[in-house]
Amino acid sequence: MEEIFLAFIASLCPGIMYNVARKNLLWVGLAGMFGWITYASMLEYSGNVVFSSFLGAVVVGLYSESVARLRKAPAMVFSIPGIFPLVPGIAIYNSTQYIAENNLSKAANTGIEAISCAGAIACGILMTSAVFRIVKKRKKLKLYRKV
Amino acid sequence: MKINQVMDIAIKAGKILLANGSEIYRVEDTIGRICRSYGVEAECFVLPTSIFITVTGKDGEPLSVVKRISERTVDLSCVEKVNSFSRRIQESPIPYEEAMETLEKIEREKGYKFGLRLFVAGVTAFVYTLLFKGTVQDAVVAFIIGMLIYISKEKVSRIGVFKFFEYFVSGLIAAGMSVIAVKIFPFLNIYRIIISSIMILLPGVSTTNALKDALHGDIVSSQFGMAEAIFTVVSVTAGVAIVLSLGLGWI
Repeated sequence: MEEIFLAFIASLCPGIMYNVARKNLLWVGLAGMFGWITYASMLEYSGNVVFSSFLGAVVVGLYSESVARLRKAPAMVFSIPGIFPLVPGIAIYNSTQYIAENNLSKAANTGIEAISCAGAIACGILMTSAVFRIVKKRKKLKLYRKV
Repeated sequence: MKINQVMDIAIKAGKILLANGSEIYRVEDTIGRICRSYGVEAECFVLPTSIFITVTGKDGEPLSVVKRISERTVDLSCVEKVNSFSRRIQESPIPYEEAMETLEKIEREKGYKFGLRLFVAGVTAFVYTLLFKGTVQDAVVAFIIGMLIYISKEKVSRIGVFKFFEYFVSGLIAAGMSVIAVKIFPFLNIYRIIISSIMILLPGVSTTNALKDALHGDIVSSQFGMAEAIFTVVSVTAGVAIVLSLGLGWI
């Protein structure tokens, strides 16, 4: 419960730094919160960091694309601060530290973890916006047919 | 309305979008939409650093404009406002003066004050330390270092040595301050402090924008965004790694 509240603030703050309008800040915080809930519960259930990051990103993507239509704002306003808590900061740091300690094989290990987490987040965001694009195109096609 | 007035509005809107961290496809979309709503056919090509528009006038004479964008920051509320502005124009085109005035008002808007953003940068570091299961003492140190990093990032980017230098310096400061803090208070956890304080430097915007651009088929801009993200991460971690190689033995 505590973590959920922290995740809310953790994506609200980047939202303020990226200058999101005040009326949308609450929605930005919720994006990060839902993403983190998915990520944390998946991580507990399966223990796979990459897969949990992917699902977290999918939830953030779905949420921000639907809220974007509700609030009439671009989806990026919600998705960029929303994925902040999922970013593999720990893996990036660990890799750096192992390089500093001249422990290159461990550095490669954690580096690959960081890259695959980033890739999983990317994939999640990409897939949800792809789905929403298909829906949008279908709507347009229907409109043309009616005319 | 004259053709060059339409182009003026389109260029201005595109420039605000591009300078405030919008995706490239959105800029192209917006320019096309504005031109169409005034009944002008336009071809445009946007790179992350410049906008090219060509329109053909009534007498068949082509007219083109190139606009360079030198300074780029992230201001999502600007993007949102220009986006809704272009949609409004599409429904009912407004006269030239009114449109330019609206755009200038959007451009001039300042957003949150520096003091608030500074505080928020500190809070971000604080919250991430707790989220990564650090103690409250770690979080307090991270709060201070987060604020210092934000100051250094803003000030160094204003000097403008070169594009990624501010990230390198911020990485240096984050690691250096954490090493000193751990030397003074040995019960602190160095890695949680560094991770949470460099969180605000990670390139979230360029990565997500690059992905969205790739999805819309704009591979060139997508590669630009990816390269920007990689350079940013590498400069931050280079700064951190240099200090850690020296500092870890000293602690």
